[in-house]
Amino acid sequence: MLKKLRLRLRALFFKPKMEDELQAELQFHLEREIEENTARGMTPEDARYAAIRSFGGVERVKEESRDVRGVRLLEEVWQDLHYGARMLVKSPSFTLTVILTLALGIGANTAIFSVVNKALLESLPYPDPDRIVQLMHFSPSWALGELANTASVPEFIVFREQRQVFQEIAAYDSVKGVNLIGAEPPEILRAIHVSANYFRLFGAPIEIGRAFSADEDRPGGPHLVVISNGLWHRRFGGDRGLVGQSLSLGGEPYVVIGVLGSGFMADSSAEILLPLQADPESTNPAHVIRVAARLKPGVMLAEAKAQMQLAHEMFRLKFPNWNSSMISLESFTAEPLGDVTVGEVRRPLLVLLGAVGLVLLIACANVANLLMARATGRRREMAIRAALGASRQRIISQTLIEGLLLSLTGGALGLLLGYAGVRALLGVRPADMPRISSAVSLDWRVLAFTLLLSVSTGIIFGILPAFSDGSKMQASAALWESGARTGSGPRQRRARSILVIAEVAMALILLAGAGLLIRTFWALRTVDPGFDAHNVLTMEMSLSGTPFQTAPSVAQLIREAERRIESLPGVGAVAATYSLPLENLLGGPVAIEGLPNDSYVTSLCYVSQRYFEVFRIPLLHGRVFTDRDDDQAPAVALINQAMAEGRSEYRWSSTFPWRKGDPLGERVTVGKGLGTPFEDHTRQIIGVVGEVRDLGLNRNPPPMMYVPIGQMTDGFARMISGDLPIRWVIQTRTERYSLRVDIERELRAASGGLPVAHIRSMEQVVGESIARNRFSMILLTVFAGLALVLGVIGVYGVMTYAVQHRTKEIGIRVALGARPQDIRRMVMLEGMRLALIGVLLGIVGALELTPLMASLLYGVQPSNPTVLTLAAVLLGAVALFAAYIPARRATRVDPMLVLRWE
Amino acid sequence: MKKTQTDLLQGTLDLLVLKTLQSGPTHGWDIAQRIQQISNDVLRVGQGSLYPALHRLEAQGWIASEWGASENNRKAKYYKLTAAGRKQLEAETETWRRFTGAVELILKTS
Repeated sequence: MLKKLRLRLRALFFKPKMEDELQAELQFHLEREIEENTARGMTPEDARYAAIRSFGGVERVKEESRDVRGVRLLEEVWQDLHYGARMLVKSPSFTLTVILTLALGIGANTAIFSVVNKALLESLPYPDPDRIVQLMHFSPSWALGELANTASVPEFIVFREQRQVFQEIAAYDSVKGVNLIGAEPPEILRAIHVSANYFRLFGAPIEIGRAFSADEDRPGGPHLVVISNGLWHRRFGGDRGLVGQSLSLGGEPYVVIGVLGSGFMADSSAEILLPLQADPESTNPAHVIRVAARLKPGVMLAEAKAQMQLAHEMFRLKFPNWNSSMISLESFTAEPLGDVTVGEVRRPLLVLLGAVGLVLLIACANVANLLMARATGRRREMAIRAALGASRQRIISQTLIEGLLLSLTGGALGLLLGYAGVRALLGVRPADMPRISSAVSLDWRVLAFTLLLSVSTGIIFGILPAFSDGSKMQASAALWESGARTGSGPRQRRARSILVIAEVAMALILLAGAGLLIRTFWALRTVDPGFDAHNVLTMEMSLSGTPFQTAPSVAQLIREAERRIESLPGVGAVAATYSLPLENLLGGPVAIEGLPNDSYVTSLCYVSQRYFEVFRIPLLHGRVFTDRDDDQAPAVALINQAMAEGRSEYRWSSTFPWRKGDPLGERVTVGKGLGTPFEDHTRQIIGVVGEVRDLGLNRNPPPMMYVPIGQMTDGFARMISGDLPIRWVIQTRTERYSLRVDIERELRAASGGLPVAHIRSMEQVVGESIARNRFSMILLTVFAGLALVLGVIGVYGVMTYAVQHRTKEIGIRVALGARPQDIRRMVMLEGMRLALIGVLLGIVGALELTPLMASLLYGVQPSNPTVLTLAAVLLGAVALFAAYIPARRATRVDPMLVLRWE
Repeated sequence: MKKTQTDLLQGTLDLLVLKTLQSGPTHGWDIAQRIQQISNDVLRVGQGSLYPALHRLEAQGWIASEWGASENNRKAKYYKLTAAGRKQLEAETETWRRFTGAVELILKTS
């Protein structure tokens, strides 16, 4: 055994020596034979020839002797690699084209796959993440990710009792700003409130100190805080003595009891974690928390869902009046946390993955085309090799190795491109894209994916030319033919035509998809949002724990800040609100005086008086707020046109008629019967304003009620200051950067030193709201562009080749009197025939596939005829161009040259 | 089908080579000569199959080779039977006997 191995190793590593020995051995044999022959009386000459004759082919003996060394395969592969590399280097333009084409296709796929891998395939970074579910509302008509994954505290209390199927039922709210004061500089920290078992559910590691105990997580419990590892290092220099010290958060002292480990990645970017301390007696209907739990061992998801339906029945028994006053809920459910987290980006990502897959297919078609053309050109070479004794397998393995050499080089380059692509993707990604952070990297899955792509494309390309008539031909036939025009058989030409048709068809599908997304984005950019974002700055200030806990004190703060900022040069109107256009978060049921307590739900917006001026929202009837609408004056409200017309297409609203057909003067109460802090004053409607697309530019405006911020109830003021920051909106005439600094200074002066955060222009806010559309559009457009270029190369390549192939025929035609335009028409018609078939097939394909992206579209139907026509025309024009160049070349064929050449 | 035929021939040649080497180490040319002589010129070993066979047997570990001086004092490669080769020879001789016996039986009966 060992000896065998040694022999093989020797064969592999001491090849030249082995060859010499073989040569010497055979030489000896030959010489002995000659001696023998001479001894028998032959002349030396005859003796020599007889010996050689009887010996047979020296080379064949050598080859067979080599065979038995058992390393033949390796040797051959090495030889083929060598030879393949040499052949590829000898035709650099071909090699470069193929490698670049593949690199583009593979690179784009690698980039998109890394994102998809991170968002859809990789498990959440928690222990046993597949067992974690989100406990939430359920309605068959809702899409995942749409408002449904929030819950109220009373619901959490009921969820928490479902211990038969769940363990570690934890609640947490969304990130909100909390002021860290008392230390310089003051800043707004991102905080979330969590129940005690949050840490165990998500496996949050504790670096030092400890997490909250269940006993501390009760109403009226101690003020404790756990801080993130990032904040600990950034703000406190990693001081281990921090635990046990007290921080002033929102004006109250909180004791630091622990620091999170650095590896923990919550889905929120919270810097501090505070105990939720949920009240079991709460009747607070606000949907401000999310609840997650771990399935008990052995419990199936379906059982958990059934249990949640039972929980819904319990909840209805506990709160019989709930439905009449809040969003009507059909049931509760449990959904895998991963699905909920990814939510609505799943579809766009899959569409992009499909699109980029098409790009790769087009790239493959191109490369296959090139290789087939090359295989035809190499028929003579192959025939010679076959004649010299190369077996069919040997020839196939040669082309296979060349294919792999190309595809692996392309794949390696593609990996680099993909890496750059991921960086570029992260640059244009929407900020709110779940799970996609700068941490997207090329992990083993991506590498495996790329390797798989490269190897499979390489094998296909390697096999394809070998099986096209290249290797089946009779060696003698190919040798007889003169090299330059050894043509392709009709079978091969048909194969290449089919490839081009497929390429054109796929390019059309991508163009149509990109066209639809461009139309969508255009529609979103041009749709009237209902407000003017131009020259408006916005910034946030958290009032949590500050002295501003009552309506009059907040109104006083706003008046002071407005006065100070408006006195700055370059500033127009200034206003304050709790919710920006496109980012509205408040809403509630409205009761109309004199009408039965129907649950009409409206969005709510608390604004200071010049809000409408800042955003240039038009007044349609009545009047806007004035500074006399303060807490001493009668309570008033403005409504938008959608509410005035009783219009609502959203599921949580029922429509109703105003009594006199006109809302002006009607008296309405938000949250009637809900008690403090939700029950608002009864207000008189004093005017109607234009509608704002608050739910997103792609959604129609919801019914909306505007309330003077100075007229909110004290209970509401206290609650809202803990939940939402106040947002300042400032109309500017000049957009100089120093203005932001001046405004920030004035705001701090007006508020007694409160920090200001999240300074953005409203245009930025609008941009962020359609960032996902932009993301999909940019990517699909890039892919369609790639497809177009590759498709053109494909058509051009095939037509150029066809012209070359028909040079003789064209020459004869010219000699017989065909005019240049006839020749040109003939060639172009052939090219256009392929393009046209491709376009038609592509339209059919697009009609089949674009409905899959319906949820990504706005203002355009998936089967939009304009988009399809434009895509077809664009592709047709480009194909025409691609066919024109070879057609022109065909007209230049000199008949004399061609005929003489024969 | 063609494969079994080659196998058979190969097997036969292997057996002859091993048998020849049983009487002592020698080189390729001598092996071919001896087979031819002993079989009264009935069996002629083509050099084209002899050397591949030798190398194959060596790869199997049944024979070993070393360079030595030939009878006319030239450098030649000498092959000798290894212990494994001896065992193989016995086994193959046995197989061969049974095989030829079987063929004879068939020839007789038919």
